[in-house]
Amino acid sequence: MEYTLPVAPGPLTQLGRTLVADALKLRRTAALWLALGGGALPVLLNLLIFYFKGHLLVKPGQNPWPQYVGMSWQTASVLLLPMFVVLLSGLVVNLENRGGWRHLLAQPVGRGAVFGSKLLLLLVLNAVAQTLYVLLLLGAGVLLGWLKPDLGFQSHSISLLPVLRMLGHTYVATLGILGVQYGLALAFRGFVGPLAVGIAGIVSALTLLRWEHIDLVPYAAPTRILRLLEGDTQLSVTATLSPAEWYSLGWFALAVLVGYLLLLLRRPVTD
Amino acid sequence: MRSASTAAPLLESHDLSFRFGARPILHALNLRVEAGSIYGFLGPNGAGKSTTMRLLLGLLRPTSGSVRLFGHELARHRVALLGRVGALIESPSLYDHLTGRENVEATRRLRGVPAHRTAEVLALVGLSADAHRPAREYSLGMRQRLGLALALLPNPDLLLLDEPTNGLDPTGIIEMRALLRSLCHEHGKTILVSSHLISEIEKTVTHVGVIQRGRLVFQGSLPDLQRLQTGRAQLVLETENADTCRNLLPGLLAGAKVAGPGILQLPWLSREHAAELAAGLVSAGQPIYGLRQEQPTLEDTFLHLTARMNE
Repeated sequence: MEYTLPVAPGPLTQLGRTLVADALKLRRTAALWLALGGGALPVLLNLLIFYFKGHLLVKPGQNPWPQYVGMSWQTASVLLLPMFVVLLSGLVVNLENRGGWRHLLAQPVGRGAVFGSKLLLLLVLNAVAQTLYVLLLLGAGVLLGWLKPDLGFQSHSISLLPVLRMLGHTYVATLGILGVQYGLALAFRGFVGPLAVGIAGIVSALTLLRWEHIDLVPYAAPTRILRLLEGDTQLSVTATLSPAEWYSLGWFALAVLVGYLLLLLRRPVTD
Repeated sequence: MRSASTAAPLLESHDLSFRFGARPILHALNLRVEAGSIYGFLGPNGAGKSTTMRLLLGLLRPTSGSVRLFGHELARHRVALLGRVGALIESPSLYDHLTGRENVEATRRLRGVPAHRTAEVLALVGLSADAHRPAREYSLGMRQRLGLALALLPNPDLLLLDEPTNGLDPTGIIEMRALLRSLCHEHGKTILVSSHLISEIEKTVTHVGVIQRGRLVFQGSLPDLQRLQTGRAQLVLETENADTCRNLLPGLLAGAKVAGPGILQLPWLSREHAAELAAGLVSAGQPIYGLRQEQPTLEDTFLHLTARMNE
């Protein structure tokens, strides 16, 4: 008796199905709440600073937006954003660490789909979180205009283009961390390992900020691009990628390649 | 006819071997699971059952040898072949933060199975009423049943179930047996089910493979296994004083062991031998309270098979 070989779904179908399933698994997880709410902390801090001490920061008649955006971005990028990416990648991968890999890899989807789906999910969550942050930031600025008309938020334009450019730069700058942490999470198969390496990376980056080759360190990239925020009276941000961003993209590419190989040639699934 | 021996087996392994580093786990396993059978894969804990199951699903790469499902190499066509396989490996991997239904939904979407299957499999394993509860609140038995629901989701031709009765209460075990029989006989599924207790599956399986220390020490139909036992029947004699009988009839009671107060046990030789012994005891003036033939249970045979390798 001969059995006909069943037809395997195409690679894109496999990826799509895995992504839909992975998205469902995010329900009620810390990863999802982190992505949706993570941006609120720096915005809230700066809202409070400007509400209570804004008169000391903004000269009468001056456009408050550049300083407000700059301060908030600094709060977010130096420590919170790298930490957010470290936690997010760890939490998303950790969803599978209690026997999930065994189940997932015994399903009719290739390892490429499993790998690609989680990577895409991380990229989307990262984008959603940073976009939400910008929306909250601008919303809080408008709110300050109503609450504290003296600061002048309502009488000056936000200048959206530089803010959007900065959002793009920051996103690119976080890709290196995201790739490296994703690869680490796949390699460790636990939550604590990649978290420890991530914290060590962030602390090292902040300590080495004055090093001439600091652009090579992916954890420093979100801080390094803060210098792109220019202008005291009107915000301006160049569209050109800075070296730190190019290195970030390089790290991302390298880490994705190594991470995929790790999943492909992964240690025996014994958990 | 599904069970025709000329048909290609639905699942087979050729000299399947596996080692963890330098430690050998499996030695040249040649499994053969016929279509339409319920194959009981038996062995004590640590014999290599779960490792074999993982190899059969492509979760591990064999050190040497190969696995064929539906007549095709697993290593070459893993994704295509796994589309027709449902599996439950050890304790089921559930997402505790999701409800029972969401757990099924996640796998359903991953496999591209039609939406109506979710409610069907939940009903089949009796979890419809609890489907809205988070899996973390499930008892061990409920988790096991949810794991089975995940395995049944794609309506697979081949089911690989690793210790599916783990954590089930006696009623649950009986229900599981009935479910396996119905899946096989009414729905034509082929089932490979592993267990470390033959008593749990002997009423269900049609074929048996016994693994001990990574080697297959028996493989065949259930009648084949039962035939193995015929040479091991015992004659049990109940009398007043076992030692006196042994001293009086040393020839007829050669090889007899005292199995209890007044009870002698000796290998069953023939009906004539039994009659001769009875006559001898009566003429020696010894009372016969009982004289019977005792067949070893399948459990005894299983223990005998697995113990032989230990020696």
